[in-house]
Amino acid sequence: MAKLRLDRIKPLVALGAFLFAWWIIPTTLKSFLEASFSEFQAPAWVATSYLDDLENFWARRSHSKVELIEAGREVARAKSLYQFNSQRKETLENEIQRLEAILNLPSRREFRYEVARVVRRDLNAWWQQIVIRKGKDFDIPVGAAVVFSGGVVGRVVEVSAFTSRVELVTSPNFRMAANFEGDVRPVVYQGLPQSGFGDPLGTVRDAPQDVIASTQIPLKLVSTRLGGTFPPGLMVGRVSWLEPGNTGIFQAGEVELDARLLSLHEVAVLIPLYPIDLENDVP
Amino acid sequence: MSGYDVHRGENPRIIFFFWIVMAATVTLVLGLGWRQLIAAQKYEEIEKRQTERRILKPGPRGDIYDRKGNLLVGNRAHYSAVVYLDDLRREFRAEYSKIIRAERAALKEAYQLKPLEEREDSQLTPDYNELQWVARQNVIQRYIDQINLITGRDDTVSTRAIIRHFNEQLLLPLPLVSDLKPDEYARLIEQVPVQSPIQIHTDTARYYPYGVAAAHTLGYVQNVNPDPDAIPSGGIKTYTFKTKIGKTGLENSFDNLLSGETGTEIWRVDPLGFQDSLLDGVTPKQGENLITSIDIDLQIAAETALGERTGAAIALDVRTGEVLAIASHPSYDLNGLSPYIPRKTFGEINDRGAWLNRTLQLSYPPGSTFKLLTSIAGMRHGTITLQTEHDCQGVFRIGNRIYHCHARYGHRVVDQAAAIEGSCNIFYYAEGLRMGIDVISAEAERFGFAERTGIEVPYETGRLVVPSKEWKRERVGDGWVPGDTANTSIGQGFLLVTPLQMATFIASIARDETRTQPTLRALSYAKGQQVNHGGEPVGLTRKQRAELWEGMERVVGDGGTGRLVQIDGLRIAGKTGTADFRAHGKEVNLAWFVGFAPVENPQIAVAVMVEGTSSLDSYHGGSTAGPVAKDIFLEFIEQYPERAGFKVAR
Repeated sequence: MAKLRLDRIKPLVALGAFLFAWWIIPTTLKSFLEASFSEFQAPAWVATSYLDDLENFWARRSHSKVELIEAGREVARAKSLYQFNSQRKETLENEIQRLEAILNLPSRREFRYEVARVVRRDLNAWWQQIVIRKGKDFDIPVGAAVVFSGGVVGRVVEVSAFTSRVELVTSPNFRMAANFEGDVRPVVYQGLPQSGFGDPLGTVRDAPQDVIASTQIPLKLVSTRLGGTFPPGLMVGRVSWLEPGNTGIFQAGEVELDARLLSLHEVAVLIPLYPIDLENDVP
Repeated sequence: MSGYDVHRGENPRIIFFFWIVMAATVTLVLGLGWRQLIAAQKYEEIEKRQTERRILKPGPRGDIYDRKGNLLVGNRAHYSAVVYLDDLRREFRAEYSKIIRAERAALKEAYQLKPLEEREDSQLTPDYNELQWVARQNVIQRYIDQINLITGRDDTVSTRAIIRHFNEQLLLPLPLVSDLKPDEYARLIEQVPVQSPIQIHTDTARYYPYGVAAAHTLGYVQNVNPDPDAIPSGGIKTYTFKTKIGKTGLENSFDNLLSGETGTEIWRVDPLGFQDSLLDGVTPKQGENLITSIDIDLQIAAETALGERTGAAIALDVRTGEVLAIASHPSYDLNGLSPYIPRKTFGEINDRGAWLNRTLQLSYPPGSTFKLLTSIAGMRHGTITLQTEHDCQGVFRIGNRIYHCHARYGHRVVDQAAAIEGSCNIFYYAEGLRMGIDVISAEAERFGFAERTGIEVPYETGRLVVPSKEWKRERVGDGWVPGDTANTSIGQGFLLVTPLQMATFIASIARDETRTQPTLRALSYAKGQQVNHGGEPVGLTRKQRAELWEGMERVVGDGGTGRLVQIDGLRIAGKTGTADFRAHGKEVNLAWFVGFAPVENPQIAVAVMVEGTSSLDSYHGGSTAGPVAKDIFLEFIEQYPERAGFKVAR
């Protein structure tokens, strides 16, 4: 009979001891350790992200001058369009403020935009979270809305010194109030476990009975200001079908999300300018 | 060969025990077989009763529409934050341990502070049962505080509510906060983590897009616990969500149609009664929809025209008896009664006397509008002819009593058409006395004034009085006197009718029949053509009818009492009435107008009654009720120009 060699099971014993210790230490300490580990990793992620940017920069250097000039012209055109839109928006905002003052309406929430590069998609959360390159250094708060040109991206769930973690709109742990475009009644949007293939999906429930969706005319699901996190009207996704839910009256259905959510490079965090006043603010 | 084999055939003790063991084995096998094969069903049922629970989920009610498909009553979302107690069990235990430790420490400290002679061991034992409820309340209140923080509310939970829920509704979610506003609901959706035990529950509450319009007719619902025995459960303990039943109006009359189909869920529960797994379920289904005959545009016109005054207005389709509008004022906003009636709202409606449906729950003297019936009775009886005339000097003596006409100096010589036009009391006093009360009573009964109309709205009053000699002897205890006949012939005295009856009466005249069966259900064109109102032809000759109608048309003419109802291009036949009535403990005026249009092809019949609420109110049929009727006719022209006889450019 072979002699039991204790040195061979040493690693197992060490692992067991570590797991036991991890099991018994207080939750506060665990959270602290996790946060410390994350902070420790963050610089490496940020550095990798900067290197990616540098790589992209050098890749673009290989373009010809003609191509760069053409791209520059495109940028100039886009800029002038944005300037025009910006002026228009400012005029409309002034008009809204004037009407609000006349009608004595409660003020709307105002946001500041903080554009941030996406560092990585978090493997630990089944790719349902992203890490962005801005954190406490830019006063990013937990719970802030994150958007991109296609609409809602998600919500900030954790903020570190230089990075923030964002729960994506595709995540089953993400839920928000929304409404169908042109309809003020709130419905519930929630992410779905993603299959890994095809466009990302979510679900919608509590849709009123008279709302009709079809593949020919899909309904636009947009954010509502009622929840207090998102400004109104941001695109969440499109709904092609609705069917009666288990209440016997409200409908539920699937939401097709923007495919670009699977390859995000840059997002904007909406930071509320003032804390919400439950009495006087329109959320 | 073993020792046993040697003795088995011989030793009687072994044989004896062998048979005992054999008998016991056979008994066991038979018993097992009986229990497994024959009594299995019984045990399955016992097992089911012990481990399964049923939840009844009532289906949403059907919608109510007007005749054009406008939603009158629907379902809106009713949000609440709930928690399943099963999800909190670990927290209950943790909180309970914490409280027990604290309580024990406190008791020990108090114990040690006491003098030795007052110390008893029982003083060291906490009340475990009470602490258990305190622990549960603490945990639940923590979640409510979380909701309060997000919504800005200030809700609390009582131990009593928790105990009641544990004992009666354990399998159902415990409501933490009910009747959330849409913004509160949205905030909770976004700010309560998905993994939290707090769930946002969406139920339905009745919703009335037009608020006060036709409130009494549509009715409201009440939340009740459904009868769990209505759906056989096979002995499984049943929990039920509250359901809604129609309390008044159409909600009550068509409760069976509107009620949804109840859904069920069968849950396996653990030994403590908490849910374990869902075994089976049937989704509730919404009830059937009801399409009413009401035209919401006419309804709103009637409601707006009545305004703040107390009264009733009804518009009927002359041909089918369909109710196009039915308004009773004062009214109330039905949305204020959903999802439940707040005590304050109930009291406020009660104080205004708004619960009463004045179209059919209260009866009033019809005043001069009843003269049309006196005319018909007289013509059929032969006492009123085309040549009948009376000289109205403004007063009429019956015995020692003087009866007045409303025209102080009289109408001078009037025939029947002129008497209708000017609403001459003297003409009808004289003619009433000539024909006698028996003729008037019989005619009123023929037109259905002694019966309920049978409309599909509950609580129609039975206090309808068509006075006769027998009636007075029985009810009042006095003999009939000529003055009673005179009063009855002008619609005063003991006579009591509902505004709805007056609407059916004028619709019957327009159709030249004695009865109109009002209905609140929209009829298809084919059904509308086949309506049998159950009456008979009025029985007037063409000339007699022409004279009656001529008088009614002259009422709305330049010199008539109802001239304010005139509409260019629409021929209206009507009759005004002003009655004295004792209500609210004082003498008040009642203003009436009944009429139909267009005269050449009657389509709509209208009855309006406006009730004075103070002795200072000086109401008259022509000037008070007439304009209300006019607004209804105008809206009818707007909505149905062709039926009103107006040409429409195509």
